[in-house]
Amino acid sequence: MAHMESLLKSKTYKLDDHLAVQEYFHAHHWTDGLPIVPPTSRSVQDLLAWSNLEPEHLIGIEPVRNRRITAEKLAVNSVMAGCVPDHFPVVCESFSAMLKEPFLLHGATASTGGCAILIIINGPIREQLRMSGGFNALGSSDRATTVIGRAIRLILCNLLDARPGDVDRSTLGHPGKFSYCISEDEENTSWLSLAEDREMPKGTSAVTVMSAGSPRQIMNEWTTNPEEILDTFVAEIKSCMRHYSIWPGNYAIVIPPQLRTHFENAGWSKKDIRKYVYENARIKRKEWADCGKGSVVGSKGEQEYIALTDEDHLLVIAAGGPAGGFGAIIPPWFGTKSKAVTQPLGVCLDCGPE
Amino acid sequence: MTIEVLDPTHEGDSREFKIASGLKDLKGSRIGIISNGKRGTYPFFNALEELLKSKYEVKEVIRVVKKNYSAPAEEEIMTEVKKWDAVIAGVGD
Repeated sequence: MAHMESLLKSKTYKLDDHLAVQEYFHAHHWTDGLPIVPPTSRSVQDLLAWSNLEPEHLIGIEPVRNRRITAEKLAVNSVMAGCVPDHFPVVCESFSAMLKEPFLLHGATASTGGCAILIIINGPIREQLRMSGGFNALGSSDRATTVIGRAIRLILCNLLDARPGDVDRSTLGHPGKFSYCISEDEENTSWLSLAEDREMPKGTSAVTVMSAGSPRQIMNEWTTNPEEILDTFVAEIKSCMRHYSIWPGNYAIVIPPQLRTHFENAGWSKKDIRKYVYENARIKRKEWADCGKGSVVGSKGEQEYIALTDEDHLLVIAAGGPAGGFGAIIPPWFGTKSKAVTQPLGVCLDCGPE
Repeated sequence: MTIEVLDPTHEGDSREFKIASGLKDLKGSRIGIISNGKRGTYPFFNALEELLKSKYEVKEVIRVVKKNYSAPAEEEIMTEVKKWDAVIAGVGD
């Protein structure tokens, strides 16, 4: 432990007490406005040791500014967010996924469009970290998803300067920028998990990251017909295409148990859902005229636009509390510029400090 | 009780960027404009090009547009940049 402490390279500050730490970090714009856990050498070492990572371990390089992202700096920000050591592998894997080229991290975090990074967790790690994909799934459903999502935001602010008005040029942003991490409710569905749908082997813990707008809730408690239920989801996607962006991309839909029951009783798989949404989530350009955008319809009014260029671009997520005929669609930041990335978690469940 | 905490920022761990020295005179120069391709850039850069030529006697204005306005300029553009005397990188919404 002493050996690792000597390897930590971050500058240190001696402050009077916990309150002084809060004020110092807020004054330097190192927080999201909420209190942080003081990142001491000991707490940072504990995170690194759990994951068997040296402080200088390179998680990846942010390509636009050639910025090296090290495990030490991820650990400092993860401690601040409230992470304990066994949360840390998920933070590392999520950020590694975000650094993959198709994700276009700089664009997603700098854009006026104001998306946040949605993280979806699958596999055994959910149970180990006591994550919940049930009640309040898109809110503060449990400790692990809340602090992991917050850690990602603090890392973006402190390592890539994605603070409001700095690199982050969001016009509005949305509340997911505090934390936007959910786990799928795999135990209460017969469906394949999102990770399995995205070619991860069964039983693998995995993270999926998506540049995501805010969730848009729908409700349909008046039918058990899968097509009719999906028509409600599709209507919200089409609304998004009219009101926000007409371009196709990774949409996510979140389906809680009450509505899932109707699909499963009818024998509908996630693949069936993706196919239906792919075929039906389409609008014509002239529909822009119905919502104040008539000036950009031009001569292509009859041209059809699709929400998904491929049915597999739809992320179908089983999550939510047991009662209520609700669901949600989560739109992409902007078209296909940023693509969702899924990675297996390089975590050893038997590992940890001796 | 004193608490010692670690700095959460990148601490300058990145490639340094230096601003190129300015041109003494725009007269007779070749100026490149890299647009992000959004609609608003076209009338703005049209006016800027006209101004550069008429008022500042710029010899040539080269206009290029990025393929993806959310991504860095492509390698081909960055190769061309070396042939220009100055570059204006513009964002338009």
